[in-house]
Amino acid sequence: MKKSIVFVSVIIAIGFALQLVLGEFDIRFINAPLNVIMGGIMILSLVAFSLFRKNKYYRWFSGVSLAVSLIITIGILCIFMGLIPQVQTRNLHQHDIYSLIGLRSITTSWYFVLTYFFLLLSLGATILKRLYIFNLKDYAFYFNHIGLWVLLFAAGLGAADRERYTMYVHEGKEESNAYNSDNELKKLPMSIALSDFDIEEYPPRLVIINNNSLMMQPEKKPSFFQIDKTNNEGRLLHWKIEIQEYIHRAINKEGDEYIEVEMPGANPAAKIKATNINTSEIREGWVFYGNMMQSFAALRLNDDYSIVMTRPEPKRYVSDLNIFVYGKEEEHVILEVNKPFRSGNWMIYQYGYDNKAGRLSTYSILEIVYDPWLNGVYLGIWLLAIGSVCLLWSGNKKKRRGTKNDMG
Amino acid sequence: MTWDEFLWFAIPAMVCWITAGIIVYKRTNPVIINGLMISGILLFAIFIAGLWIGQQRPPLRTIGETRLWYSLFLATIGFLTYKHWKYKWLLSFTGLIACVFTCVNIFKPEIHSTTLMPALQSIWFVPHVTVYILSYAMLGAATIASIVQLKKMNRGKVDPELYRFMDNIVCVGFGFLMLGMLMGAAWAKEAWGNYWSWDPKETWAFITCAAYLVYLHLRLQNSYKKFTLWMLPIAFIILMITWIGVNYLPSAQGSIHVY
Repeated sequence: MKKSIVFVSVIIAIGFALQLVLGEFDIRFINAPLNVIMGGIMILSLVAFSLFRKNKYYRWFSGVSLAVSLIITIGILCIFMGLIPQVQTRNLHQHDIYSLIGLRSITTSWYFVLTYFFLLLSLGATILKRLYIFNLKDYAFYFNHIGLWVLLFAAGLGAADRERYTMYVHEGKEESNAYNSDNELKKLPMSIALSDFDIEEYPPRLVIINNNSLMMQPEKKPSFFQIDKTNNEGRLLHWKIEIQEYIHRAINKEGDEYIEVEMPGANPAAKIKATNINTSEIREGWVFYGNMMQSFAALRLNDDYSIVMTRPEPKRYVSDLNIFVYGKEEEHVILEVNKPFRSGNWMIYQYGYDNKAGRLSTYSILEIVYDPWLNGVYLGIWLLAIGSVCLLWSGNKKKRRGTKNDMG
Repeated sequence: MTWDEFLWFAIPAMVCWITAGIIVYKRTNPVIINGLMISGILLFAIFIAGLWIGQQRPPLRTIGETRLWYSLFLATIGFLTYKHWKYKWLLSFTGLIACVFTCVNIFKPEIHSTTLMPALQSIWFVPHVTVYILSYAMLGAATIASIVQLKKMNRGKVDPELYRFMDNIVCVGFGFLMLGMLMGAAWAKEAWGNYWSWDPKETWAFITCAAYLVYLHLRLQNSYKKFTLWMLPIAFIILMITWIGVNYLPSAQGSIHVY
């Protein structure tokens, strides 16, 4: 164990030194084909070294002490990551001690990268050592360790090639340009056309506001009544509320008349009856969310308070797209959150829209991610998942020989 | 089927689960325990299916609806894990938590309609949270055991049976922990564009895994017995930071996981 602690300390020391001299480690320096070449060299080296697996240094390098030391080291580095706010883009003008030694962006620091690298080497050495004495009964070990190795390998090297873009597509238009993570406009090998962007909304909530301050009541923790098809009675403070009529897409026809119209500016309207529990006073009338042309309508309870509608929350937002990735067939895609579109190494996500315009948004914001190593990552995830199920099933099985335990 | 019929299913199911959780400690015929647990689970399954058909959409949109699934998953997986590992407290505990979620649905009906934002409307949501609940329960039990064992170690006599229990329960708890993290990664890729972004919650979840991994590997050796045992309470503190602490850490305020 002492050897391992010394080794790990040396790695960290070298990492710190490199950090001070070279600044941060920009993984994008090793983008394709460099990362593929490096990966290949790593694998070949691991196999070559494994020929010396009986050597005592190999046994230490692939042993439990070093594994524990490396895991603890990475754990401690992550604790720093968890406690010190991390920045995504480096502020070149920040000169505090945390920035200088890379603590504000640990994943791009040399000591993190070196620890990660040696973890991958040590893990690889362990796996190869066990593969030589292959035993089907060690299935849990193989799934867990190989799964983790594949995941770390693909995620680590893949980070060099992964790129994220934000694209603004306007209704009725076609777009090929997008902003990368450095906010530069780049042309992507695809063409995306938006025919329609739509938001489905949940019914709004009712809330009591103070007529003068317009603050929702009670001020510290406002009380809401969610309009719901299945439930048309409720309470707001000391008023009993009854929804007599609800129109989700309504237009104010004139005065107190609301009709249902499927129009871009149509918004929720509800006819409510409010009964004061203490005084039995009744107030009846329409509450309307309003739109760009028509003002909102509130139910005035008394001089101090009125009932209004809150902004309806999005239930679902959808882009109706035609996506043409160069080299592939054009595809008609309905894109929504949690349902991205994948074409080869590209994945396209529904990201956002013009928040201020809401349903009237004329453009949709897409997130486009390029990751050629994704399949490797998924393979690692699957193997690890199977390994985890093995753990659930077998727990900690004792090995037949001696008292040494063996776990997957 | 609508929520109006919920009580007809919820009360019998809870009675089944609580009874099973109590009589498992007496010398009861396992067939009765199996029967009670399965009846409760079936009742919930039927109600969920009915609600699905009645509302003409999968019941995955409101917080009340997700609680139905928590109760179902916890009771089911808790029952299966009990059958495999024979830990009676596991059956009682998961049954109890399933009942807690059911009771919240009974006593706070007005938050049935608190709607889920689009990012949470995913089939990953319930499994991801459920396996974490199970994992935390088991790792909590392991922590208690480790404290007992440390006390025994101070008195000079450790309990080998307790070691066996700890090793098993940490393995199973860790298995669920890993599954939770992997599901989180798969879901993140579908929803946010990347499977891992070192978001504070993700970072602390990773540290939690690393801590338990250290325990599991140290148990392969016979040295540093005290340090090994201490890893469990330390790991549990890290687990608590992941679960609840992140919401309060200043470094995490911008996190997508802070509700």
